[in-house]
Amino acid sequence: MGALGLLLPIGFHALGWGGKAFLPMHLPIVAAGFLVSPATAVSLGIVVPLLSGALTGMPPLAPPLALLMAGELAVKAGVASVLYRTLRAPMWLALPIALAADWGVLILAASFAAGFFAVKAAPSQYMGAAIVVGLPGTILQLMMVPAAVLAIERRLPQLRPRRRKAPE
Amino acid sequence: MPHHIDLYVKSDSPLHRVDPRAKMVAIGGLLLAVLAAPIRPLWPAGALCLLVVGAAVLGRLPPGMMCRRMLSLALIVGLPFALSQLGGEETRLAGETFAVKSLLVAAAFMVLMASTRAVGLLEILGHLPVLSPFGQLGEFILRGADLLAEEVTRTNRAWMLRVPGAALGVRLSGLAWASVSLVARAAVRSERVGAAMALRGFRGKLPAATLPPLRPSHLAAGAAYALISLGIVGVGRWL
Repeated sequence: MGALGLLLPIGFHALGWGGKAFLPMHLPIVAAGFLVSPATAVSLGIVVPLLSGALTGMPPLAPPLALLMAGELAVKAGVASVLYRTLRAPMWLALPIALAADWGVLILAASFAAGFFAVKAAPSQYMGAAIVVGLPGTILQLMMVPAAVLAIERRLPQLRPRRRKAPE
Repeated sequence: MPHHIDLYVKSDSPLHRVDPRAKMVAIGGLLLAVLAAPIRPLWPAGALCLLVVGAAVLGRLPPGMMCRRMLSLALIVGLPFALSQLGGEETRLAGETFAVKSLLVAAAFMVLMASTRAVGLLEILGHLPVLSPFGQLGEFILRGADLLAEEVTRTNRAWMLRVPGAALGVRLSGLAWASVSLVARAAVRSERVGAAMALRGFRGKLPAATLPPLRPSHLAAGAAYALISLGIVGVGRWL
């Protein structure tokens, strides 16, 4: 999944599709969040964007978009993994919460950037901007991630989180 | 195994021959200097820019290629900078700081990555106390990505040889399905390798490759570069 996180953005850029709109790196990392432990998911989220920034120049290490993306992906994959694998929440609940947690990171980053540039704006404006910018990528994740995770779980049943037994 | 995915430019320049650890010392000093550099007056940032260009010249890196790589940052840096120029004095200064420091750091990283194999840097990270798990994970991901890219290329070539007149859509769908089955196969294989490693006593820490001793001359060169960068900024702040 980490390898796909490196290769998918290269493929998207080669085909001329907008990487910023479709967020191709997010797809395998969020899917990995549903398949691996929280610690591994967070590590993958941190390493893949930084590695991609160093290997391909995108996302750039300066301005620190790779760092921002590392924070985003670590939170998103970590929240997905904790909810789905540790707390055994269903995927239809875990995925939207993970996406919302990502927006939280974006809002924090936007408010930091606004402070740096001495721009005054309300948090609701950051929220709106974050949701609008990531909308195509969010829709793609809502469509592709459950399909990919379910397909992989069907192929490799040992990756499925063990459900608690119902009381007899 | 050859590594295909990185920004390395093959050459036998003096910069390419310097030990990656010495380059990391140099870039560490340069980063600190860029962070501390004043923007008004601009000459300390200009002197740091000359240092980065000097390193690129020493590495015999093609100027056209380096400019093209830097051009990919034009929108990311240019748009916030242009917008900041519409604001007040504080916003304009922040925009200038952002643009100058971002471009300097990006250029320094590009020179580093163009003159050093990524796998060499990851091996060094694998030896650092806190960063070693990330370095090892990075090496795993890099090898996996190289394997996957090679397999996908071969499968695509085989597909095109078998159906030479196929439409682009048919070729792309074939490539997509081949990629999916390769990923599934890679997952099964990694499960088996993981189980075999656990049986042989793997407890989460990989044995790190031994690094060759760092030559004092290389370390001195890296440290001198870092000190010159910091010295320029020190003088700039003092004046």
